[in-house]
Amino acid sequence: MRLIFKNLNILRSTINAINMSFEIKEIVESAGNNLPNLFDLSAFGVLWEEGSIIYLYQEESCPHSFTQEVVKNMVKVFSILGKGTDDVSRFSIQVEKRRLRPNHMMVDPKATLKSYLTLPLAVEGEIIGCISINSDQPNAFDAQDLQFFSVIGYQMAATLKHFQRFSSIKSIAIYDTLTNLYNRRYFEDRIRGEAQKAFYSGSSLSLVMVDIDYFKKVNDTFGHTEGDRILYEIASLLKTSVRKKDTVARYGGEEFILILPEAGLEEATMIAERIRRLVESTPFEIGQVRMNLTVSLGISNFPSHRARSKEELVKMADLALYDAKRGGRNRVCIYNAPKE
Amino acid sequence: MAKENRGGKWTSDLVLDLYSNLLMEVWEVVSALIGEAILELLFNLTIQKIGEKYPFLNSLKVSEEGISSDGVREVCRTIPPIDIHRGFQGLINHLFHLFSTLAEGVISREVFPKVFPKVREAERIISQK
Repeated sequence: MRLIFKNLNILRSTINAINMSFEIKEIVESAGNNLPNLFDLSAFGVLWEEGSIIYLYQEESCPHSFTQEVVKNMVKVFSILGKGTDDVSRFSIQVEKRRLRPNHMMVDPKATLKSYLTLPLAVEGEIIGCISINSDQPNAFDAQDLQFFSVIGYQMAATLKHFQRFSSIKSIAIYDTLTNLYNRRYFEDRIRGEAQKAFYSGSSLSLVMVDIDYFKKVNDTFGHTEGDRILYEIASLLKTSVRKKDTVARYGGEEFILILPEAGLEEATMIAERIRRLVESTPFEIGQVRMNLTVSLGISNFPSHRARSKEELVKMADLALYDAKRGGRNRVCIYNAPKE
Repeated sequence: MAKENRGGKWTSDLVLDLYSNLLMEVWEVVSALIGEAILELLFNLTIQKIGEKYPFLNSLKVSEEGISSDGVREVCRTIPPIDIHRGFQGLINHLFHLFSTLAEGVISREVFPKVFPKVREAERIISQK
């Protein structure tokens, strides 16, 4: 009886830990940390279909062949549940090795998978993955283990579903649906953080405002559907022209903005020029016509331009863009402070 | 098609009663082990698969509350008892296959003692026909 109470307590804290998690990896880790107190396992696995990923949390002495067997078995079970083929290569595998056993109980280097329990992660009649506990010992799990494990499975499925929903809501909230770039709201959030960081530490921060030249003509001549397609294509070019740490957002209409953390004026100019040249040299097919488009770009930088707020930094990039337009378009202009 | 037996009940009804009870028992035992939602899913997967060959099984209604064979009864009136028996047998076999796939012998060990005598009983009824 005492053992059941102890197990129920562990079960409760496992469920709590899963509930408190915000990311799939965190969910797996929370469960992984607690499950060895409940089951005599060598490996715990989570297959998550949406991410095409298998997370394994396993005893560090498990040999590679054992890991492979566990993965293979999980994919096989998942395919038997009607979810695709048993081709392991469609999943990426992340293994977290932990010390789950005392020295004298280390897993034999030649150990094979001797017993397992696998359960589908199911929510509202939909299978979103599966979880599995595995052992190198025969008959390691019994009916009570299955009961406990199914409770964990239900909780995990529900948490993962919440996480999925949250991700899709988050994605709607931060992305521009037309271009797949970040939207203005996300930009405002991001620039707040980056500006704070730069102003506080004195590190460099550049902004590049980009505007498609004569875009109104494209819309008026070829219609908004073609115009939207151009926006999407130019957005894709912008994404490929920046560094990993940069943020590209749609600022509004045919205007885009780039946040370039730790980029001085020289580097920002280089990136902006690269974008200008790339757009200029890319032929766009609009309706039956093949034509070239250009963009104008304005750059502002902290600390060079002595902006005192993020709003000021954005305004400076906008003024530089205005200079580029006024100077004949298809050019990059750096903010030029008015003479006092 | 289904013969009336001495007790006044159709053979198909007897077979159906037997399997209905059996499925309810399976439900009771296995839902306590893996929960209703997962079991509902496994039942539905099985019905979908075996129902391709034995379409009368598609009238089985599964929900988190359990399994109901009310819908099957009417359909079964025109089906030979041996086919009803084979259909349900296929269903049970596939369920057991899924149970073993998920939990090796853990589920089967709990359910098999209840299932086996009933399948034998169904076979006896069919052979007496």
